[in-house]
Amino acid sequence: MFTCVITGAGSGIGRAVTEALAQKSKFHNFVLLGRNLKALQEVAAVIRIWGRDVMIIDIDLTYPEKIPAAIESVYEKYGSIDCLLNIAGYTDPQHLLQTSLESMETTYRINVFAPFMLIKECTRYMKRTGGKILNVASTAGMTPRPGWLSYSSSKAAVISMSQTLTEELAEYGIKIYCVSPGRCATKLRKRLAPNENPDTIMQPNEVANVIVNLIDDKEECLDGQNIVIRKQLNRH
Amino acid sequence: MNYSAIILSGGRGNRMQEAVPKQYLLLGGKPMIIHSIERMDKIETISEIIIVCEESFIEPLKEMIHEYSILKPVIFIEGGQTRQQSVYNGLKAAKEDSIILHEAARPFVRRSDFEALISNPNANVTLGYDIPFTVLTGTSKVQGILNRSELINVQLPQKFNKRALLDAHEKAIKENLTYTEDASLLFDISQEEISIQKGTSINIKITEPLDLELGEIIYKNHIINRK
Repeated sequence: MFTCVITGAGSGIGRAVTEALAQKSKFHNFVLLGRNLKALQEVAAVIRIWGRDVMIIDIDLTYPEKIPAAIESVYEKYGSIDCLLNIAGYTDPQHLLQTSLESMETTYRINVFAPFMLIKECTRYMKRTGGKILNVASTAGMTPRPGWLSYSSSKAAVISMSQTLTEELAEYGIKIYCVSPGRCATKLRKRLAPNENPDTIMQPNEVANVIVNLIDDKEECLDGQNIVIRKQLNRH
Repeated sequence: MNYSAIILSGGRGNRMQEAVPKQYLLLGGKPMIIHSIERMDKIETISEIIIVCEESFIEPLKEMIHEYSILKPVIFIEGGQTRQQSVYNGLKAAKEDSIILHEAARPFVRRSDFEALISNPNANVTLGYDIPFTVLTGTSKVQGILNRSELINVQLPQKFNKRALLDAHEKAIKENLTYTEDASLLFDISQEEISIQKGTSINIKITEPLDLELGEIIYKNHIINRK
């Protein structure tokens, strides 16, 4: 019975992915990490109805030093960790001259340091059996966007980290996937582009479909690449 | 049957021209010695891993073993003045009747290679590989030609009956005999039967800086093997 560890499951892409994976019979144990407990409990209630086992871990990802104990508790409960999905994200878009060190640090703690710690701690267990790790980056990590310094640079770090770890963890049978969604109707996107109509852009479930296909057993060839997810929008 | 794995890690690596002994240099992003330990860690019939090393490396190695989440019991034994003494120290610490002897500077032994050695029905087995070049005897003048079809390039790991190898070592100590590896020692002193199992071309010993460069290629193309 596969065990999936997921951040950002309370809303947006993370929620869509969790619900889509829970509909696949082989994914049985779901570990949802985050601090929005109300949202996580809502998701848990839905997937428990489908017979899934859910463990919610109350953790603020701005403090990645708490991650080792959290992952150890997952292994103690389920005895394996098969998938890790780093989906939680943070943004505080500002011009360089208005970007505080604190804002930069918070962005990196959630977008880079927390995935780093989660990958490191999960690898301690996953290295025995192999597994899949997926990091959600962004097209913002590939192209310059004035005013998005902290977010864009943190997502560039996620892309690079994914590519490096693909090589480093290959011997353990651990596959690393990286996806970079374009404009997607999430709360985070609303902070980046507050005037955009979310109905006119890609929806979280469309990104989730791609992620679920990557995490599914059949996918063997797309690890190590930065997979851009964009939708051809109908402008008529 | 269970096995004690002994990893020789006492070399100074002077030929590498590095301050750190070769077995602790990075290969594929991780210390060379970890490659073999991680693979042994996944083999059920290996009950313990004995690392024979210089005393000053024991604490850093303990930390490394923890960081790489090695599950099997790992025992640290101080090496001797020579390779032969280091093997003897490792043998005395082994709890099982059969041992797998390996060296940290050979990081390209795959899990399946270890398992093939373990499943070999003979008690004493060495890996051996063809010698693809001509070997002459003599130093300043050629004195003879060896028939290379009768020769093997000895590779580690090897498998031995612990009691037989310990007895041979003790006899070697008494008679002040020195050997560069243990199949020679056991055969010469005790005339024990030792089987030869075919080694692999990638099982090189990292000795010189060029070996490390080749090693990165072997790691990428034969161990990771992403096409």
